[in-house]
Amino acid sequence: MNRARYLLRRLLQALLALFIIATLLFFLFRLGLPDPTAALITEGLSLEEREMVRARFGLDRPLFEQYLIYLGNIVQGDFGFSFSYRAPVADIIWERLANTLVLMLSAILIAYAIGVPLGAWLSWRRGSGTDTAGIILGLMFRSAPMFWTGMMAILIFGVSLGWFPTSGMRTLPYEATGFFDKIFTLDFLAHLILPALIVALYYLGSPLLIMRNTMMEVYGEDFIEMARAKGLPERRILYHHAARNALLPVVTQLAVTIGLAAGGQVVVEVVFSWPGLGREILNAVRTSDFPLAQASFLIMAAFVITLNLLVDILYTTLDPRVTLQ
Amino acid sequence: MKPLPILSTLLLPVALLTTPVLAQQRVAPVELITTTEAYDPIRYEAAFIIAEAWRELGLDVTVRPTEFRTALDRFYGNQDFDAVILGWSGRVDRLDPQFFLGTLDSRQSELGGNNPGGYINPEYDALYDAQSQQFDPDNRRDIVWEMQELYMPDIPTVVLFHRDEVVAYNHNTFTDIPVMAGEGLYSEWTPLQARPLTDRAVLRIGGPQEPDNVNPLDSTSVWGWKWMRMYYDRLVRLSADVEPVPWAAVEVTAVDETTVDVTLREGMRFHDGEPVTAADVAFTFNYYMTQDYSYFNAYLAPLAAVEQTGELSVRFTLSEPSAPFAIITLSQIPILPRHIWESIDNPGELSPEDIPTVGSGPLRFERHDRGEFMSLSRNDDHFSAGTVALEGVEFIIYADMEGVFTGLLTEQIDMTAWRMEPGQIPLAEAEDHLTVISVPDFGYFHLTYNLRREPFNDRAARRALTMAMDRERMVNVLLDGRGEVGTTVVAPVNAFWHNPFTERFDYDMDAARAELETAGYTWDAEGRLLRP
Repeated sequence: MNRARYLLRRLLQALLALFIIATLLFFLFRLGLPDPTAALITEGLSLEEREMVRARFGLDRPLFEQYLIYLGNIVQGDFGFSFSYRAPVADIIWERLANTLVLMLSAILIAYAIGVPLGAWLSWRRGSGTDTAGIILGLMFRSAPMFWTGMMAILIFGVSLGWFPTSGMRTLPYEATGFFDKIFTLDFLAHLILPALIVALYYLGSPLLIMRNTMMEVYGEDFIEMARAKGLPERRILYHHAARNALLPVVTQLAVTIGLAAGGQVVVEVVFSWPGLGREILNAVRTSDFPLAQASFLIMAAFVITLNLLVDILYTTLDPRVTLQ
Repeated sequence: MKPLPILSTLLLPVALLTTPVLAQQRVAPVELITTTEAYDPIRYEAAFIIAEAWRELGLDVTVRPTEFRTALDRFYGNQDFDAVILGWSGRVDRLDPQFFLGTLDSRQSELGGNNPGGYINPEYDALYDAQSQQFDPDNRRDIVWEMQELYMPDIPTVVLFHRDEVVAYNHNTFTDIPVMAGEGLYSEWTPLQARPLTDRAVLRIGGPQEPDNVNPLDSTSVWGWKWMRMYYDRLVRLSADVEPVPWAAVEVTAVDETTVDVTLREGMRFHDGEPVTAADVAFTFNYYMTQDYSYFNAYLAPLAAVEQTGELSVRFTLSEPSAPFAIITLSQIPILPRHIWESIDNPGELSPEDIPTVGSGPLRFERHDRGEFMSLSRNDDHFSAGTVALEGVEFIIYADMEGVFTGLLTEQIDMTAWRMEPGQIPLAEAEDHLTVISVPDFGYFHLTYNLRREPFNDRAARRALTMAMDRERMVNVLLDGRGEVGTTVVAPVNAFWHNPFTERFDYDMDAARAELETAGYTWDAEGRLLRP
């Protein structure tokens, strides 16, 4: 099978997966969430007035008709109109997605930049006190709830020490409106540090442990024995021979992590009032804003599927043993 | 599937023998719908306190915590409930008794109406019409008092309690922040009266809620209007004591029962420099009526026609006499610039960047960055500008109340827009720079009986079950004493309209039992309540 045909097949599979997810999302939200106009009652709207709003949202049409319109629009890249904001969903989502990705990618970068070499180093010191301490620390941050670590960080570094701002992305009032004007400032960096660190600490465990464990397996391989026999220094064997071969599972994990990053970490975004997609998803579900919720989850799914596809392709380059057959 | 018919034939005679006796005698089990603990722990706990006492009276009760909007739909949309605990928020325009009294009007008892319990009392309805057409406030008050006295012994709905809104502000940065019932610190008077104590004359407000949008023909949330009313003028404003005070109007005259003449203030201008004239006012009201904007429909209902009668004078014609017209309608509808809106045919479909934000109010719209920040600046051309000490207002949008509270601690914000969580109140009180204020509310939490269903169709049962509610304990334990036990649907804080001399239904289990006994209820050997 040649590469092009393989890619085409994988692409079609990905599209099918997206279609199924889009369908599931549509029906799941409509069946699972209460009527989006129910909350208008406490605002004093009568039944007829509620029906007017329902008609404007298109909710008075048969479910299947709504579904067809929805599919048709998605194919044209139109995610519809948000019920609560009365604005095109795409406008809301792209802005929020960008905010989330800045936070998540910084966190993932920190986590992997520290986690991978640290994991390799721990495997070298296996069985020692350092190794045990490293594992415990990694597991601890992996299992500590982020709302707690986040609030502790706010309490210590924000409230008591006053070193870092505790909420939002920038100090108000501000002038910048463009996305890049917004993020290339020291002020933005100051706002980013705490939430990014909290997410990074949470993510740190995966690359750390995966790297350490795969390294241990690689140590048993013949080529390591060979390298030792050649008299290469242990450090060189560790980073040049063993680590390169242990990277594969880490890359998979990295791709999955980046894929899931699109949805953000809802908890961190709420604790730090970060205006990202995760916070928006929460609002969308809370208010039964179907178009916004559907589109957010669809984008997350698209991210995961795309990155999985990329990894599969990348694998063939990273590891010659993986072929297209 | 086979064994089933055999089983049921075996059981049938037994069922026939035992059920008639029980089914005819025992009071049917009831379901009490309340919010989930996560949504509101107070209403959730209140339901258990009530259910416990009802069980003591021998009633079979199941508490059903329900997702909030599902609960709303079961209550209003389908009227599919036995008893429900929900609430009404205290919006300023509800200080006029019209709205809350209407929740017991039989004409609002159809599906989706505001009287889902189905209280039907023709005498009450007649009084409701009479008060709504009575222009003289003292005469109107007599009728309003009579209505409260009339419905209370029937107790179709129980006002459980009014919860104080506990808010805080930084007294080192600002002073003279007015406090308003139902609004707390974030009222439309705050930017006009607050005075800065430092060089920064921009008041920073923090809150977890943000406007759904700032389209005056589309927003359907209190938070949208709390923001917009600061940069749009209304003809009349409600004072902190809920007296209508002339604002963009200098004079409001009732010519007869259905005709109101309004004279506009001279020299007003919109933020883009155009003058505010009677044409703008007439246009605005007619525009709202033709656009059928659902949020204002109730306010505009009594209005038949609005016409410009001079450069600065407008005549409102009502379809029937309406006492709350000046308080509710004239104080809620913002004056829109005709030269901007007259060319917009479908204002509900404006995309966010196209929504006009030009008003004539004491503040000007500056920006709204969704999820982050909103700001307004002082309008130096406004007639009130001479007395305004603030240069602007900023609103920082947080994800939750925890973020707002941290903002208050780190002096990022000067005041909260919304009530604090119970746990935050003592922490705020311990801070040197914060002043904590309890503002009584005229909105309320209620338990409403479904009068179409047994046993709540029986007045005596309702009376007894109400006497079994320890509302004092709810206020002391659940609200930490920050609230007031409910009486009638018109709150005690609404002093002019509230009738303090109605039946109170204090907690008394013996009286509850006596009430049931008098009505012929009995108890079986296990203490279960039996029908009369």
